[in-house]
Amino acid sequence: MSSQTLDKLPAGASGTVLDVGGEPALQQRLLEMGVLPGIEVKVVRFAPLGDPMEIKVMGYSLSLRKAEAAHVTVERA
Amino acid sequence: MTEASTSTRHEGHARHDRHAIALMGNPNTGKSSLFNALTGARQKIANFPGVTVEAKIGTTRFENSEFTIIDLPGTYSLAARSPDERVATDALLGRIEGTPKPDGVVIVLDASSLDRNLYIGTQVLEFGLPAVVALTMLDVAESRGIKIDTEKLSKTLGVPVVVVNAPKGKGIDELKGTLHRALHHPGKKLELSYPDDFKRGVDTLHAELLDLGVKLGFTPTRPEALRLLVDGAGPFFDECEEVGGEEWTRKFFEIRERAAAGRSLSMLEAQTRYGAIGQWMREVKQAEAREGRTRTDVVDGILTHKLWGSLVFIVVMGLIFQSIYSWSGPLMDTIDGGFGALGDWVGGMMGEGALKSLVVDGVIAGVGGVLIFLPQILILFLFIAILEDLGYMSRAAFLMDRLMSRFGLSGKAFIPLLSSFACNIPGIMGARVIEDRNTRLTTIFLAPFMSCSARLPVYTLFIAAFVPQIKLLGFLELQGLVLFAMYWVGVLFAIPTALVLKKGILKSKVTPFLLELPSYKMPRPKAVGRVLWERGGSFVRRAGTIILAVSVLVWAAGYFPRGAEIDDKHDAAIAAAEGAYSEAVVSFDPEADIESALAQFKAIDDAHEERTAGLEGEEPEVEAATAESDKQREAEIAELAAKHPAAFTDYENWLKLEEQRSEIENRRAGEHLENSILGRMGHVIEPAVEPLGWDWRIGMAAIASFPAREVIVATLGTIFNLGSEEDEESQTLREVVQNATRPDGSKLFSLATGLSIMVFFALCAQCAATLAVMRRETNSWKWPLASFAYMTGLAYVAALVTFQVAHALGG
Ligand SMILES: Nc1nc2c(ncn2[C@@H]2O[C@H](COP(=O)(O)OP(=O)(O)OP(=O)(O)O)[C@@H](O)[C@H]2O)c(=O)[nH]1
Ligand SMILES: [Mg+2]
Repeated sequence: MSSQTLDKLPAGASGTVLDVGGEPALQQRLLEMGVLPGIEVKVVRFAPLGDPMEIKVMGYSLSLRKAEAAHVTVERA
Repeated sequence: MTEASTSTRHEGHARHDRHAIALMGNPNTGKSSLFNALTGARQKIANFPGVTVEAKIGTTRFENSEFTIIDLPGTYSLAARSPDERVATDALLGRIEGTPKPDGVVIVLDASSLDRNLYIGTQVLEFGLPAVVALTMLDVAESRGIKIDTEKLSKTLGVPVVVVNAPKGKGIDELKGTLHRALHHPGKKLELSYPDDFKRGVDTLHAELLDLGVKLGFTPTRPEALRLLVDGAGPFFDECEEVGGEEWTRKFFEIRERAAAGRSLSMLEAQTRYGAIGQWMREVKQAEAREGRTRTDVVDGILTHKLWGSLVFIVVMGLIFQSIYSWSGPLMDTIDGGFGALGDWVGGMMGEGALKSLVVDGVIAGVGGVLIFLPQILILFLFIAILEDLGYMSRAAFLMDRLMSRFGLSGKAFIPLLSSFACNIPGIMGARVIEDRNTRLTTIFLAPFMSCSARLPVYTLFIAAFVPQIKLLGFLELQGLVLFAMYWVGVLFAIPTALVLKKGILKSKVTPFLLELPSYKMPRPKAVGRVLWERGGSFVRRAGTIILAVSVLVWAAGYFPRGAEIDDKHDAAIAAAEGAYSEAVVSFDPEADIESALAQFKAIDDAHEERTAGLEGEEPEVEAATAESDKQREAEIAELAAKHPAAFTDYENWLKLEEQRSEIENRRAGEHLENSILGRMGHVIEPAVEPLGWDWRIGMAAIASFPAREVIVATLGTIFNLGSEEDEESQTLREVVQNATRPDGSKLFSLATGLSIMVFFALCAQCAATLAVMRRETNSWKWPLASFAYMTGLAYVAALVTFQVAHALGG
């Protein structure tokens, strides 16, 4: 299937993380919080103003900005 | 301090039986709940990440051992970035002054998201300290269908696992016992299988660090070498660079490059840890979470919904402000009446003089004036406590992040700012969760703009006195609406301040906003009750200490010196008035019983007063009732006057005498106040506050409230009580304010004056404790001084504009 960045996924869609990039501090924090290759993520919703977004990863809810999610490449399920 | 002294005492004979234990784990996993259950402390607990931001120490005993428990901020990793995370990692290494180096750790793991929780778990276990896992939130996990085999978990991790539920008091004793055993029979260090290059890199770096160890003054451990290798920055890195010099830095990056071999070290670390965790979980988790929506998902569907979410937000906010008014009224009246009665009673028992004035004008009018606001403050805290316990704070941050980022802040700044509405101090402390230094400083600088509960008494006093009690659209109280508006004043000024700061001196890159949204929890009545009890207690304590002290000081400054010539002058005036009255007595009709006729006239007036006592406001019914009573009085007086014309003349003269007497007494009190130290200082500052619509008394009251904003209510009570002679029935502070006059007899306060005072207090930085915390959190006097100067200037200008505009509009 096609790979795209996490911020482009619509609410309700899920995918598997392929790669996590970004500036070192951001990359490290994403990895520590469970967003790493091979893990499944699901977009739950976008905030009323369009940003940030809420995702489900490793069974908990994480809020992150779209600009940050843009560093996460996923393969849409 | 006490901790230190007990420690030395113990070291004398039973050293081996005293252990320091750190509580480590992710944010919001129940560390502080556990800490409180273990030690009986009262650390703040709430349902959002980042509640605890500093290390706290408590003690507990098990058999012969004494444990010093260290509650720490939660963190997702030992790679600390924000100040609160640094506290946690520094504490683990024993590098926090006043906090003992831990001999063991309790790793607190949230069973409902065990995978992620184990990440820092593996990091801590690599240190090899004696450790026990406390598994919390098993109830939440089970409600989602997750089943965990704790025995297997214990075997895999190589440390004991104890299931605890601190809010319910479960597993606490077992944890202590297990801890006791673990300390005496430590398990083995956790060894993960890192890629070879990585492992070699850590070993080489560790060896280099050991070489450097003498100069560093401590022996770095292998896990520290791992952190340094991966993070490649931070205070430890700076330290090594300083003692090792350029040569060291060059070597470091060489080792790092070789270890990475083109890959990302953080990625290698994360993959190794989560790889191991994934394997363990396959054995430990007997059942995964059920598919489908959890309760939290359902609630979130509403609370963070585009339309419903915003609607709920607005309704909740509106409800808070409406209820602050409608619920607190009866309670406040009771307290108010109580203090009034107390003042009358004490005043009646004591002879005239300085002591009576101190008690009635200084203590009762001052402290009592503040205490009546207790119900409103409790209502505010009730709502905040419920929102915090429910788990709404993180959602609010989620909803607001976009807006906040327009001002250069982030949603993470929203939580400290929101809690600043309760009190600025925890708000400023809470800014520790923000990674970026400049964003954190901006947040700290903005916190005092949020209207804390100490402003509530100021607002409500003047709103109750000058804003009519009417309903808009049939249900919105105008008074509640004005209060709501006052809260916006600070916010409206905070926004441009943030923009200027973030565009100017505190510029920073966009900072990440990764925030965990915890699951909703039913607010626990006990916990909410405890917050109220503590907040209420601290408010009363402030009233009994700082506010009492300032009231007494202000009283003394307003009472002394007592000019004897002022007393002589007014004694003479009273004597003259009384002489004139006795000479004018006309009734000599032997048949008329003058005394009883006079008494009958008085009775008519008393009855009139009683009828109108409860009537207030400008509603037509009130005015009609007043007029009705007036007519009745006129008729009764006229009837009686026809029967006893002479007594009527005397009665009229007597009324005049009473009026003269109270005028003279008022003038006497006023002159004493003007002549006092306070009065003389007041006249110096009067020109500065006149443009705000204030007189020197308000100006002095405002200055005297530097230690805390709510002091203004106390000092106003004291000053106006001193400055006017109390008649037999004391007035509430609201009436005092409504009736206060200038020397020329015109009313001192108007809606315009009231608004100008409220705006001033919405924006000023009159709170010594806030400034002190700002100094501590920013580590320099620069910020509190800048804050004080800026906010005072802003408050002055805004109050000035408010008064001039409102006055021009006829307010
Ligand atoms: N259901 C359930 N709730 C718990 C349990 N332990 C703690 N809580 C709740 O979890 C929330 C967080 O508790 P805290 O003790 O403040 O967590 P913390 O780890 O100190 O959080 P930080 O200070 O932010 O790191 C509160 O709402 C507690 O009431 C538990 O075992 N079960
Ligand atoms: Mg805590």
